[in-house]
Amino acid sequence: MAEQTQGAVALSAVIADAATGVALALQGGGDPYALSRILRQDDPLAPAAVRVLGADALAPYALEHRAAPGGADDEAVVRQTLAAYPPGADASAVSAWSYRGLVEASHAYLPVGDQPWPRPPKAGSDWIGTDPWPKLAHRVSQLAALALPGLAADLADQLAARTDDLARGFVRAVRRRDWLQAAGVGRWLARLPDVPPTLGLDAGLAFVRQMGGADPRVALHVVAARRFHGRGW
Amino acid sequence: MTGGRADPGLLDRMVGNSLGWLEEMREFFRLPPNATTDADPNLTLKPIGELAQLTQLIAASHPRAGLRAAADRLFAFAWRETREGELFAELIRGEPHATYPVEIYGVFAQSGLRHPAVEELVPATTGLRGWRVAREDRTRTLSVLNAERRIGLAQHTDFDAEFALTGLGLMPEPWALDRRAAYGVTHDVFHLTDWGRDRRRLSPELAGYLRLWLPSWLENWLEEQLWDLVGELLAVAACLPEAPYDPAAWQRLAGAQAADGSVPETGAAPRPADRAEAFLACYHSTLVTAFAGTLARTAPDGAEAGPLAGVAAGAGRTPCESEAAP
Repeated sequence: MAEQTQGAVALSAVIADAATGVALALQGGGDPYALSRILRQDDPLAPAAVRVLGADALAPYALEHRAAPGGADDEAVVRQTLAAYPPGADASAVSAWSYRGLVEASHAYLPVGDQPWPRPPKAGSDWIGTDPWPKLAHRVSQLAALALPGLAADLADQLAARTDDLARGFVRAVRRRDWLQAAGVGRWLARLPDVPPTLGLDAGLAFVRQMGGADPRVALHVVAARRFHGRGW
Repeated sequence: MTGGRADPGLLDRMVGNSLGWLEEMREFFRLPPNATTDADPNLTLKPIGELAQLTQLIAASHPRAGLRAAADRLFAFAWRETREGELFAELIRGEPHATYPVEIYGVFAQSGLRHPAVEELVPATTGLRGWRVAREDRTRTLSVLNAERRIGLAQHTDFDAEFALTGLGLMPEPWALDRRAAYGVTHDVFHLTDWGRDRRRLSPELAGYLRLWLPSWLENWLEEQLWDLVGELLAVAACLPEAPYDPAAWQRLAGAQAADGSVPETGAAPRPADRAEAFLACYHSTLVTAFAGTLARTAPDGAEAGPLAGVAAGAGRTPCESEAAP
């Protein structure tokens, strides 16, 4: 038990460092991005951290001019992750979609090497139509990395029909001071058209960053919303 | 919040149980001999003012005769406790610049219950320049303006201009609403619509804002089990066009109502064994539950699309023709 807890703490620290590195790259700071620079390839926790960050591990490659194209080292750690953590048959929707997000991001942002990337696995989407709004918003916040431009186009189309519900989820999350959920939902809202103006999304993202930005994953979502969708300030 | 149909059986049961408990505990609303001198108005006049404000609406508008009669008995009791209005003359002479005696008197004046001495007094106190000095809380100013209208006095300032600067009028970011602001928003709606009697006064823009964000606020305060605020938010929902009905929220409020009909202020606090303490812990939420249940029941697209005919016929106030439509 103690070992497991220690392992979880160590993994959280690796994820936090990596999220900080991604956010910095999205803001245009530091050296040209390389995943292999923010996650040591020989770190045994690297694949798990990439699995948690999902598509965000490759987010800076979605920017033009900022990153050198992903190199062989990056490809190796992503392939390792995809091989180590495939969603099982009974995987949750979040697990299946976040895996799919990493596969889609690999296709979109990493060069095709000798080996083709795996095909994006199917992930169920019935929940988008049936989840009550609080549950929907929570799930969507866990899939914030898929809000990267060009990824999960079908997911974005379906979520657009529930924009008001996601906005309600943002309100609930901020009121509960659940900054990670608020940042994740807010990032999706930044990608969707027709967000209700009275939500005050731009001010809301800025507020979440000020209140919860000590968590690098919160900061990453808010920075990504700004960088890719021009929302927040 | 959108698809549900109002459940008249549940709503009527909740209103009936609330009124039953309030009648059972009626003695605790009784004003002490020192009500006009050194008693704490928050423990004496506030409860009886709320009793009058909410039972008057139920007595005038509930579709069930038995519930109207129960509410009317409580309303008549409140009027008797004010010694048929004489109390207000004493209160105003004691505190001529306080607003609360005028606000509570307005509830009775609206239904035609007036006292000659008060009628002579209020123009002398509410006509002063000092009465127009801006108050800290604009929502409270709306309450004063509503009372002036009910009594038939001149409006001391412009309602719409005051309203524009309230927590509803400004339509703040919905995630920035704290508990105090939430009570402000519900009361902005109550004053604007004359406690649900003229629901058309909510502009389409305000109605759209409330329709969007009420579900989030309800969810938040259901989680906190703050039952009086939950009841007030459900009352606000009933004031919207087509009155969105949230079956789950109503079920949860019904679950908070005890077998004796009382609804606690918060779900977390243990129910006091002492009757006087139980009264203080429950009277407000219980009244609000009866009020919200009545508004939901009389909403245009609610369980019974009944008119607020009794209210409109009462004392020459704004009739609610739209709500009389089938």
